[in-house]
Amino acid sequence: MPRLLSLLSGPEDVGRSRWFWAAFVAVCIVLFVSPLWQSEFEATNNAYYLLNVPTALGLALLWGYCGILSFGQVAYFGIAGYVYGIVAGNMVGDSAGPIVGSLCGLAVCAIVSAIFGYFVFYGRVQNWIVPILTLVLSLLLETFLGQTAGYQWRVGTVQLGGYNGMTGIPAFQIGSYVITGYSFFYFVLIIVLVIYLALRLLVNSRHGKVMLAIREDAIRTELLGYDIRARQLVVFVIAAILAGVSGLLYVQWGNYITPSQVGLLQASLPVIWVAVGGRESLLAVLLSTCALNWLNYTLSSEGYQYALIIIGALLVVVMLFFPSGIVVTLAREVPKHGWRALLGWGDGAGK
Amino acid sequence: MSEPILRTEALTKRFDGVVATDDVSISVPRGELRCIIGPNGAGKSTLFALLCGIQRPDAGRVLLKGEDVTRLLAFQRVRRGIGLTFQTNRAFHRLSVRQNLSAVLQISRADRPADADERYRFALDRFGLDAESEMPAKELPHHRLQWLEIAMVLAAGPDIVLLDEPTAGMSIDETLQTGAVLKHLNASGLTIVVVEHDVAFVRDVAQRITVVHQGRVFAEGTVDEITEHADVRRIYLGQA
Repeated sequence: MPRLLSLLSGPEDVGRSRWFWAAFVAVCIVLFVSPLWQSEFEATNNAYYLLNVPTALGLALLWGYCGILSFGQVAYFGIAGYVYGIVAGNMVGDSAGPIVGSLCGLAVCAIVSAIFGYFVFYGRVQNWIVPILTLVLSLLLETFLGQTAGYQWRVGTVQLGGYNGMTGIPAFQIGSYVITGYSFFYFVLIIVLVIYLALRLLVNSRHGKVMLAIREDAIRTELLGYDIRARQLVVFVIAAILAGVSGLLYVQWGNYITPSQVGLLQASLPVIWVAVGGRESLLAVLLSTCALNWLNYTLSSEGYQYALIIIGALLVVVMLFFPSGIVVTLAREVPKHGWRALLGWGDGAGK
Repeated sequence: MSEPILRTEALTKRFDGVVATDDVSISVPRGELRCIIGPNGAGKSTLFALLCGIQRPDAGRVLLKGEDVTRLLAFQRVRRGIGLTFQTNRAFHRLSVRQNLSAVLQISRADRPADADERYRFALDRFGLDAESEMPAKELPHHRLQWLEIAMVLAAGPDIVLLDEPTAGMSIDETLQTGAVLKHLNASGLTIVVVEHDVAFVRDVAQRITVVHQGRVFAEGTVDEITEHADVRRIYLGQA
């Protein structure tokens, strides 16, 4: 147990002090009791801000910790969502349907990513080719799903629906208890917290240190005795499964999915969430993903036509002034130099 | 005579028609400290790349402890006891000293040298490196960065290390210190092969020297033999 706690609070993520953990527990408590003063609609919205976090954390692991940029995480998001829709949709009336659908969705994500990753990493494809290949997979999937409008494109009783998408996807349920509204918020919150803490353990483990080494210099790492191909493949599959978790939560939240969910625009969003917070920190990515999804949702729901342009502009500003990400920069620089120096006020006498 | 720890047979590598390594056959006995010298572009670094598996030869074989490892990947050769530092320092510069050293695979193999950990700790101590230091490697002075990479290789517990210009950019004192550590490690049984340009360093540490020229083995012998070799003196040691 002490070893587990020490790993959890290891040096490979920001936020290690007792103050951080006290604040972390306080925020968790506030989130758990927040339905007391929130309407069910607000709680469902909050679940939406959180449900993209697994995709973002997976990308942080892949890109920030292991040095592999993927533009195609939404492919796995979509695969899990569609597979869940097909399996659970064909098992309507069977209370095990959503669980079987979820397991199938994640299994297909794992298999597709393992096959794709095998050719990429065992073929020694490196650097900028990888993001292009991952994006191509996503766009291929979008193109394929877009032409599934005809009646012939049905699996069992479920229509794929072309660009109109798949509708009427069953909500998640355990036994006869259907998880929706407040309970869905708790469901997502617990999943996000478990994934975040599990990834903190992973990045602080021995495997996490090897990931950092691969990110810095893959050849040097191989010459320290590691099969970097296998390591990269494992991280790639984990990230795909996490994107799949988001895809499952998305279709269980909204009960629909369309091919645009795996399109170019959606493909770029996880990269923005991760880059804005700081790709080398899980906590930063968790915070920025929630914040940017809230911003996007709020701007869009208030009729603001340019929500995504604002998000894109934010990315440009962050890349120019905080290339390591806002949260990571603040976490590193404020303790060293103080707020005043960071903002360019005074001479940084705070240090 | 026991099987040499490292042997090559007619090793050849071409890049776009240019022969970088040409029919190279060398043999390094266990426990030797061998220096490989030669002018820039002679093919020394390519030879190292072929030995550790970063490059695949067009022809010839590499044998490590009698086993043909020509088809093996770099990490598989490392797990069989070979270690390498690069000509350009490739410690993980953005990571801390602790992260650099903790990233090394502690290879568990039946023939891991019994005193591998002792050699590693000796190197840390003599190089003045703190394995728990959170200082980013890039903030280390150049010579300590070079030493850090050597320590990383030793942490894996190799039987033989290939060091590509380990003293490049070092002062005379730092070079002497590096030489002293390498000689001690060699005396403890570690086989070391060093590519170097620094003739004084080579004279100080080498038990045997291989001279490479235009991708081929030009001469080989003890320090005295190479020093007295007329062609080597004329071409490489700058003496008439």
